Amino acid sequence: MSLLKPFSKLPNINTASILLVESEEHLQQSLADVLVEESSITVNVRLAKSLPLPKENDKDRPRIDLVVFIINLSSEQSFISAEASLKYLDPGYFLGKVCFMVTSARSAAVPTERMDAVRKLAASLHSPLLFAEHQTSEGVAAAAERLLGILKVSAGVVPMTTALYLSNLTRCTLPTDIEQPSFD
Amino acid sequence: MDRATTSAASTPHRSALVKRRSKSKSHRQSYRSCSGGAASRIGLTPALTARRLNTSRKAPKSLNITERVNAEHLALLVKTKWKLCYATPLYQFRHTMLKSYARQLSAFIVAEKQRGLAVEVEGAQNHFRASFSVLQGLAEADDPETILIQIHSKPLFSSSEEPQRCVWSGWLSCINGNLDYLHSLPQGFTCLPLFGSSGTEVLTTLVKSWCQKTFDCSFGPLEINYTSLQWFMALLTNCHTESNIQHLKMIWSIPVEPPLQVAFTVSPQDAWELWSSVRTATRDLADPGGCIDFEEVERFTQGLKSHFYRHFRLDLSAGSLKEVSTALGGASINGRVKISNSRYMITTLALLTECALLKMPI
Repeated sequence: MSLLKPFSKLPNINTASILLVESEEHLQQSLADVLVEESSITVNVRLAKSLPLPKENDKDRPRIDLVVFIINLSSEQSFISAEASLKYLDPGYFLGKVCFMVTSARSAAVPTERMDAVRKLAASLHSPLLFAEHQTSEGVAAAAERLLGILKVSAGVVPMTTALYLSNLTRCTLPTDIEQPSFD
Repeated sequence: MDRATTSAASTPHRSALVKRRSKSKSHRQSYRSCSGGAASRIGLTPALTARRLNTSRKAPKSLNITERVNAEHLALLVKTKWKLCYATPLYQFRHTMLKSYARQLSAFIVAEKQRGLAVEVEGAQNHFRASFSVLQGLAEADDPETILIQIHSKPLFSSSEEPQRCVWSGWLSCINGNLDYLHSLPQGFTCLPLFGSSGTEVLTTLVKSWCQKTFDCSFGPLEINYTSLQWFMALLTNCHTESNIQHLKMIWSIPVEPPLQVAFTVSPQDAWELWSSVRTATRDLADPGGCIDFEEVERFTQGLKSHFYRHFRLDLSAGSLKEVSTALGGASINGRVKISNSRYMITTLALLTECALLKMPI
C-alpha cells in the first residue's frame, strides 16, 4: 500500500499544492480553474478520482499540502469512495492537512442519515467540514476562497500559524444529540 | 377514551395537555426540537441534529379497516394517486364546524374564479360546491380525525339536470403522530400534518390559500427521501406472506451523459426470500410481526443493489432511487403516493405522517 506522505518531499518557495479528490468530477474541474488564478502564491492543483495515486509520476508530483475530499451527498457512491480513499493517506495528514467538502447538502432528496455519516467521519478524523454550492459560479468561487485560506496555512506561507493550530479551531465537532433514541 | 361516544366528529379534547403545558413551557416547538434533550435547547443547532426518522418500527399489521371506514371514502383513498404536502398545525380548527367551512370554501373558490370578470356569470355560485367530511376510523390513539375535502363541479355548458362530478379531492391527516409532539402543541391548534391532493393544480392552490387564510397555517412540498423510500420498500415486502405484492419495482436514475433511467423489477418470491434472509434471527418466532430495524432495511437494499451489480456491472449506489412500487402501493421521490390496498393504509400513512412532521419548519 503506497501511502501519500505530507513531509516526504521538500517544498518549493511560495508554492502551495492542493489535491482534490472527487469520484464524480462535478466540482473538481471548475474549482481547480478558480484556484489557479490566485496571484499571491503559486497554486498547484492536482485532481484525482480516488486514492491511492498512481506510482508512475510519483517523482514529479509536488509535495501535497492539503487533501480535499469532495463528497456529493446525493450519491452514496461518492461517500463510499471517499471513505475508501482515506486509507491511503499518511496519518500525518490528519494533523490539519485534510478537509472535507460537501455538495448538494440542501437538496431535499438527500437522506439526513448520509449527512450524519459525513459529519461523523469528519469529526472522527478531526478535520474541518466545508459546504459548497457546485451549480453556480459564485458558489464555486466562495468554496475556492475558503480552501485557499486553509491551503495557505497548511503550506506554511502564513506567518505565526500552523495547519495543526488552525485545524484545532476549524475541525468538525459532533453535536451531543446526534444519536437520538426513538420514542417508541 | 370517550371521544368516540360523545360526538361523531369532535376535536380531540386536551385535558391532559393543559397540565403538561404548565410544566414545560413548550410552545413554538417543532417536532424536530421537541425530543426533550437539553442539549438541543442550549443552542447546538437543533434544526440539524435533533430529530431523525425512527430507526425501528413495527411490522405492518394487516388491519381490516373496511369495517371502520366508510366504503365510499375508502374506495376514493385507494384508487387515487395523491400528491403530498406538509401542513403546519391548524389554528382554531373545529371538527364540528365542517359545514360552515364547506360554505366558506365554496364561496372563496367562486370569488377567486370570478376575479377579473366584468359581469357576474349567471349561476356561477352553483358551479363549485365544496364538502368537508370526517374520515372516521383512520385515527389511532390521540390523533385528530382525518378530514376529507371534496370539490364538486359541473362543466360550464351543461344542462341543469346533469349531476355534479367530483373534480378535486384532498385530505388532511395525522396517523400515529408522535404523542409528545401532539401534546406539546398550545391549545387551539390541531395537528394534521399530512395533506394529500388529487385534481387540478389551480384548485389545489385555491384550497391551500383558503386554509392558510382561515387556519393560519402554511403548506410546503413533501419530498419522500431515500431513507423513507427504503422503508416503503421493506415494509411492503414484509407484507408478502399476507397479500401478494406481485412485483417490487424500483426506478433508479444514474447521473451519466445522457441520463440513464433504470427500472429494476424483482419477482415477489425473490424479494421475499432476500428480505427473510436479512431479518435478524433474534426475532421471536411466536410474534412474526415484531419490530423492523433500519439496519435490516439497509441490508435489504444493499442486497438488491449487489445483485444488480453482479448482473449488469452497474453500481446503483452512484445514482438515486426515484420511485418504488408494488401491487400494494407505491411512492416516488417527488411526493406522490398510491396506496392500493386498504389493509396497509395505516402503516403507510403513519410513515408519511412522520416524514411530514420532520419536514415542517421550526
